[in-house]
Amino acid sequence: MQESAQILLKSISLFFLVWAAIRLMGKRNMSQMTPFNFVSYIVIGIVTSLISLNLINLIYGFIALLVWVAFSIALDYLSIKSKVMHELINGKEAVLIKHGKIMEENLMSVRMTGEDLLAQLRSKNAFNMADVEFAVMETNGTINPYLKSDKKPITPHDLGIKVAPQAEPQTVVLDGNMLEEPLASLGLNPQWLSTEFDKMGVSLENVFLGQVDSSGDLYVDLFDDGVELPQPKVKEMLYATLEKSQADLATFALQTEDTNAKAMYSKNSQRLEDLLNKLRPYLLH
Amino acid sequence: MTVASQVKQTLASLKGARGTLRVYSTQARDDETRSVFTDALEETNIIIEDLGKRLQTLEFEEPQYKGN
Repeated sequence: MQESAQILLKSISLFFLVWAAIRLMGKRNMSQMTPFNFVSYIVIGIVTSLISLNLINLIYGFIALLVWVAFSIALDYLSIKSKVMHELINGKEAVLIKHGKIMEENLMSVRMTGEDLLAQLRSKNAFNMADVEFAVMETNGTINPYLKSDKKPITPHDLGIKVAPQAEPQTVVLDGNMLEEPLASLGLNPQWLSTEFDKMGVSLENVFLGQVDSSGDLYVDLFDDGVELPQPKVKEMLYATLEKSQADLATFALQTEDTNAKAMYSKNSQRLEDLLNKLRPYLLH
Repeated sequence: MTVASQVKQTLASLKGARGTLRVYSTQARDDETRSVFTDALEETNIIIEDLGKRLQTLEFEEPQYKGN
């Protein structure tokens, strides 16, 4: 009885202790771990379980635990502060493909076969070796290929298209509850939100999700998917209105006989056309 | 439909567009976007002014259609 109470007490205190120690060792994703990090986590885990099951002396266990945690933190700290230490501890990334040619010696030094390399490249959507200009194996073992410039995905920049800058959308309603903080960070208040809902004819309780995009338009998803909501089309409408006005002005310019009016109409029609060109990336996307 | 009423219609839809532009020029979060909308607002103002002047002349020329 006494021993089980001891185990209970030890396990509970070690649970929180190890949790704190792991948090102290930093936020690191499992896939980003170097092999050595993995080893230290396993040692910490095993020592912890040995102590909590009363299999080893409490003091000995704590010494081992302390050393592994402290050294892990110390090595992490050193590798942040010094580039040399970083390379020593985490290793250096290995260039596997350079100028489109596989570096066989580097492949050998990271213990990879040609098939492994091809499989890793395929997982990065590079099925054709001929498309890869450069590939590097990071210190945690992932391979990142850099495609040849004519095989890279096309961007608006490549096409010479101007696109409007867009900030991340903010979620302002979730599960029927208004989220005050994101709303305030947009400089909006609950009254604004209720006005928008009134315009759509819905109430807050029926809204599962509401997001405000960077131009301030509200997108809403309802619990009841049977209800069709008009999605924001204000920008498209604005563009259409301006385009129609531009066409009207051009027509007036043709119809009128007054030379002054003709000049005024065609000048403003031109002005509106320039404006439309400028607004297009912001209104139509 | 007379010319004056056609111009009036265009003027009205431009005024509506100006309202929407004003809303976007205040609620856009990005500085660049906001300045584009503000510029557009000013341009639209100039056009509306010109068109308003022309409408006055037209109504003076065709007083019988005034108010249509």
